[in-house]
Amino acid sequence: MTLAAASKVLGAIAALCLLAAFTPGLAERPASDVRVELGRRLFYDADLSIDGTMACATCHEQHHGFTDSNATHPGVHGDPGRRNVQTLANVGTFASLTWGDPRVRKLEDQALIPIAGKTPVEMGFGGQEKVLEDRIGGRACYRKLFATAFPGEAVGMATITKALAAFQRTMVSRDAPYDRKKRGEMVDTSIEAVRGEKLFFGKASCASCHAAPDFTDAAGPNAFHRIDLPFSGDQGLGEITGKADDNGRFRTPSLRNVAISAPYLHDGSARTLAGAIRRHREATKLKDGEVEDLVAFLRTLTDDRFVADPRFALPKASCEAAAAAL
Amino acid sequence: MRLAVLLAALALPVAAHAQMAPAAPAPACAAMDEALPAELAAWPKKTELTAATGVSGLDKAVLVPGQAYVATLAATPDVTYVVQPEKPGGTVSKGGIFAVDIATAGSYMIALGTGAWIDLLKGDAAQRSTGHGRGPACTTLRKMVTFDLQPGRYVVQISANAEPTLPIMIAPKP
Repeated sequence: MTLAAASKVLGAIAALCLLAAFTPGLAERPASDVRVELGRRLFYDADLSIDGTMACATCHEQHHGFTDSNATHPGVHGDPGRRNVQTLANVGTFASLTWGDPRVRKLEDQALIPIAGKTPVEMGFGGQEKVLEDRIGGRACYRKLFATAFPGEAVGMATITKALAAFQRTMVSRDAPYDRKKRGEMVDTSIEAVRGEKLFFGKASCASCHAAPDFTDAAGPNAFHRIDLPFSGDQGLGEITGKADDNGRFRTPSLRNVAISAPYLHDGSARTLAGAIRRHREATKLKDGEVEDLVAFLRTLTDDRFVADPRFALPKASCEAAAAAL
Repeated sequence: MRLAVLLAALALPVAAHAQMAPAAPAPACAAMDEALPAELAAWPKKTELTAATGVSGLDKAVLVPGQAYVATLAATPDVTYVVQPEKPGGTVSKGGIFAVDIATAGSYMIALGTGAWIDLLKGDAAQRSTGHGRGPACTTLRKMVTFDLQPGRYVVQISANAEPTLPIMIAPKP
């Protein structure tokens, strides 16, 4: 093939790709993308709570890096929240998905905790899953979207959680100043942030648990750590294993977009990054200026593109419009 | 000094979309609504008002600053919002819209007796809040959001309310 012919073929392929990208309607995309779009719609749909007041996005707010600004979030019946809302950035890479329970390893399983959990009640469908299935399946638009996304499968908890998981797996945050610098791009970084990065990966030992690239060790088997003493009440991992040595151990939270996700720690008891850092035993050796440098570095983990990406935002089109476009 | 400024910046909640989660039910109290914020003194004396379900009904759904209401909301699918709420309610939730005419520039608080979502619009532009908080203990206030407003008409969009009625009040902050 000549260079010109190859160029023509490549041009045709590019044109087809562009056409596909801008063709309205979900049906033009592969089934997996339809699942992602369905999951996104469900993520923002407050009908996933028993009284229609709470969606996944109620607590996982995009502009907060898919966390919220509360220490904990009460459920639909007013039950106090138990633990701080965690980020969903890069959650598809995590092997362990909750603060205290290493058994929850699949996003499909994790979704059932807020939707149907009872300790505490969050979205309120515990024991009433059929109500949710009937509610979602009772809408013609959703039936059509599910039929396209999951051919041959019913609208039910299994497909609802699969769609939510498919969407969450697309939540990739890899464009913070830290990432761009790692890629060799020119990034305007303060001297404090440079010092903070050196501290983070060096003397302060932060990276021993908050390991790059997601600044957590949640992708591995040993992600549960106790950072401070004393602790009371919530025993974290110990609650699941029954081992005294596990009391107070919690899964290392990711630090992606951490500067916009206050408050911090498993109970949201640290209102600031400096306060959260100071709660670590290792941080007692740090001077105030060093903590300040660490905070400056952590601010370089904010991915402005991720928190404004329309692909992760509340869908503008109604369910009916989305189904009609198929 | 710089650390203090940085920490203060991190702690500042400024966006309307940063509304605080509603509080859990208040602990047992001898009496309710006896220690209200001064600007919300009229909170216990509510009059009835029906929320509009679209822009055409706004003139009959006007919240007067300083006056408390128990508003009747509509089923969410029956409400045509001016703009898509930032936190839309589900089909089984209730919602509605109201007009507010501001005569004097200043800081105003919108108080609710539930944890419903509030969008405040000028035209079709969402206004950013300057603060938010939960109601004090032993009051029926569940949510308070503050905005800096200029004279003119605003639209209050309420979404994701569980109940068909909503205690609501807007009041100037001293």
